[in-house]
Amino acid sequence: MKNKFFSASIIIIFIFIFFIFYKGLENSNIYTPKTNVKKNVPFFEAKLFDSSNKIKSEDIFNKNNFYLFNVWASWCIPCKDEHPFLMKLSENKNIELIGLNYKDSILNAKNFLKKYNNPYKTIIQDIDGTIGIEWGAYGVPETFIINNDKIIKRIIGPINETSFLEIKEIIK
Amino acid sequence: MYGRKVKLRFFFVILTLLTLFLTVFLILKSLEKNVVYFQSPSEIKALSEIKKNKIRVGGMVKINSISMKTKEINFIITDFENEINVIYSGVVPNLFTEGKGVVAEGYLKDKNFFLATKILAKHDENYMPPEVKAALQEK
Amino acid sequence: MFSLIGYYSLVFGLLFSFLIVLLSIKNFRDKNILNDKIISLTFFQLFFVIMSFLGLIASFINSDFSNETVFNHSHTTKPLFYKISGTWGNHEGSLLLWLLVLTLFIFIFLLRSKDQTKQYRILTLLFQQIIIIGFFIFIIKTSNPFNYIFPVPKEGLGLNPILQDPALAIHPPILYLGYVGSSIIFSSTLAATSLGYISREWAKHIKKWVLVSWIFLTFGILLGSIWAYYELGWGGFWFWDPVENVSLMPWLALTTLFHCILVLEKRLILTSWVIILSISTFALSMCGTFLVRSGILNSVHTFANDPERGLFILIFLFCLIFLALFIFFFFHRVQNKDTNSFFWLSKETSILINNWFMMYFLSVVLIGTVYPIFLEVLSSEKISVGPPFYNKLIIPFLIPFLFAMAIGPKLKWIKSNLENKLFLIIFFIISLFLSISITRNLNSSFLINTVLIASAFYLFLITLRDFVINKFKNLSQTIAHFGFSLLILSILLNNIFSTEIITNLKIGETFRSEKFNINFEKIEQQNKQNFRSITGKFNIKNSNGTSEVLNPELRIYNQPNIVTSEADIKMNMFTDKFMTMNLVQNQEHFNIRYQVKPFMIWIWISVMLISFGGIITFFKKKYEK
Repeated sequence: MKNKFFSASIIIIFIFIFFIFYKGLENSNIYTPKTNVKKNVPFFEAKLFDSSNKIKSEDIFNKNNFYLFNVWASWCIPCKDEHPFLMKLSENKNIELIGLNYKDSILNAKNFLKKYNNPYKTIIQDIDGTIGIEWGAYGVPETFIINNDKIIKRIIGPINETSFLEIKEIIK
Repeated sequence: MYGRKVKLRFFFVILTLLTLFLTVFLILKSLEKNVVYFQSPSEIKALSEIKKNKIRVGGMVKINSISMKTKEINFIITDFENEINVIYSGVVPNLFTEGKGVVAEGYLKDKNFFLATKILAKHDENYMPPEVKAALQEK
Repeated sequence: MFSLIGYYSLVFGLLFSFLIVLLSIKNFRDKNILNDKIISLTFFQLFFVIMSFLGLIASFINSDFSNETVFNHSHTTKPLFYKISGTWGNHEGSLLLWLLVLTLFIFIFLLRSKDQTKQYRILTLLFQQIIIIGFFIFIIKTSNPFNYIFPVPKEGLGLNPILQDPALAIHPPILYLGYVGSSIIFSSTLAATSLGYISREWAKHIKKWVLVSWIFLTFGILLGSIWAYYELGWGGFWFWDPVENVSLMPWLALTTLFHCILVLEKRLILTSWVIILSISTFALSMCGTFLVRSGILNSVHTFANDPERGLFILIFLFCLIFLALFIFFFFHRVQNKDTNSFFWLSKETSILINNWFMMYFLSVVLIGTVYPIFLEVLSSEKISVGPPFYNKLIIPFLIPFLFAMAIGPKLKWIKSNLENKLFLIIFFIISLFLSISITRNLNSSFLINTVLIASAFYLFLITLRDFVINKFKNLSQTIAHFGFSLLILSILLNNIFSTEIITNLKIGETFRSEKFNINFEKIEQQNKQNFRSITGKFNIKNSNGTSEVLNPELRIYNQPNIVTSEADIKMNMFTDKFMTMNLVQNQEHFNIRYQVKPFMIWIWISVMLISFGGIITFFKKKYEK
């Protein structure tokens, strides 16, 4: 009797610990700061992808339009997942797609675009990753939605069905 | 009547339980005093009063905000919504760079100034958010 | 190519696991002796895991970036040594190493346990295979080290330079040998419990495994600590960081277990206690892997991580714990009640008392480590628990602990009188005097420091006397306890007498203080294989006229682009002079830290002595046979 009570209580304690750890997994990564929204577009000057000309950020985001700023690379596997969504978005006239080719070789990147089509209106190069730092990008892929020189939404990781619909909602 | 042995055993069990409770109580009591809370600049802005205990502030080091003097280093931690000025004299970790994540431990002077006693920076430069890693894993 | 071999070897290894399980169950029912096929199957399993591991190493050496793990953690300019050590420096590779050690240990276990009964060996093998299968599935499903990337990248992302260090290159394998060694203890305990075989013979047999894992764990922790001392540039060796705590917890449990097994071997008491400790040692090792790898911990050491993996380890860990609890509750029966009594003044009591203290230390560390997780889940407050918590709760209890360590070994089993009372008292007075002569100039916390140092000296003197009087009797125990007293002494003296200067200097500037002047003369730049080095030249003039030159270094790695600082440490028998230099982007000032740390080297020496004690015990038993 005493023994059963004892074993039962131990098992309950362990189930409780399991539950706490399980919950804890959901909100891990405690030091990740909140997403970067409502911040001004950082200023930068970068090389264009298909020529050696330089372009300034204000020349890119010059219209009162929606812009999608997408950090991608040919070596990045999830970039392929989000590619169809980008292609769909590129047909939409309300939004202009800007690609930031992050730490990539031009040749690989060109092959990538040849294979999967090019959704971007403008592509800029970021060979050493400094522009990525300016934007505070976490990794590849990452997407920023810009309106009026303000970052209004940020998607870390590949665009999926949900975030695709959200973007469509925003630019309606 | 119970035998002497049973009594002794009973006494022993009580003693063990008592020590156990006392230990747990002791540990929890000193936990209360020694924990360091973690807050973001926005949470600090929202505080109703400035407490005297040690806290940790986490966020990004704002670009162009670091200034160094012989005695101290000043910089700004931002979570892209709110900012806080940090005054620090001590060792700077290697990964402490503008535009990167940082955690400062210390005391609040007021809502805008933070006196740091320690700065921690993440070891990992190639930090990737879990969503990206998970997507990579599916392949 | 190598990745492919690696991957298929892994799958074959898993298949062999199932074969072994099937064959073992069949063999368990038959009344024959252990089927030799089982041993050869285990050997094949080990062989395939080794192949898989070699495949990964080969991919790293060849910089085969079509392999995702290699791409994420390697770079062509990395020196060969770090290409190889990069294999286990990451999550996927380190799990493969876990698996390798798991299979290696069970194979050795089968070879070395020929004198045990067939049923016990098979059951141990079965339990171990459960763990091994769990790890196989975990690796193949959530952290496959042989993932393929297309198109093949030209260059890898590089290994975090902070990990490019000799001590850290061998730290994980050694620590894992310790962690995984506890898995054998776990399986064997479960097997012995379900067969009712917890006996003195069993204790004698499993003691070696306890020792092996204990020795490796001790060395592993030591290496990690040394690395933190000179690489992290904080000038400390233990920060009570959760990641460090998770390696300390199994160590505490294992140390306790070892002492208990000594008692079990002599007296066949404390059986339940031994079972609980074996289970918790392994649970704590697994828990460590879970906490570090899941990202649930709020630590500065946590590397990129993935909750899905955490979930897998979590479920697996709790399945094992429940299995263990089930076996413990249903199969374990306490035998031979009458031998259960002993006089209060005996070796058993003193070991038991110290066990309780160890359990107390363990629970302090455990609570300090997991409390933040609990609090965050229950109230969504984010906290961390700092060193003051641990210091306050652990340090005072070291005093009785040290005394028990000094007097305990003097006692006899079952019932004893204190002999040589005079000696014990005289030694106590001497150590008190020694202690006061050291602490008399202290202003703050004089009392606690005096008593602490006195108790450490007490153990120190008594074990020293044992060396002289007993010569080689109980040598291992004397050395280990002596090492422990030395450890506590050096940590205390180091804490009390360290001085530290932190300042920001430009080139050419001088920092002045009462004790010394630090002159920042110049910097030199050099290009190395995969980093650029900046070395500072600092001239330190002490007030007593002596002077010293220290050259801390900064390394700017090219891939990934990270700065690390290499401390310059002038080490001698009495003090370490420790200097680090840090650079902040776009600033003229360098951040300088200069520390004078007495008795630093003795901390390392004493830990080595402690593990040396273990090594002696391990070999001594062999000679007796």
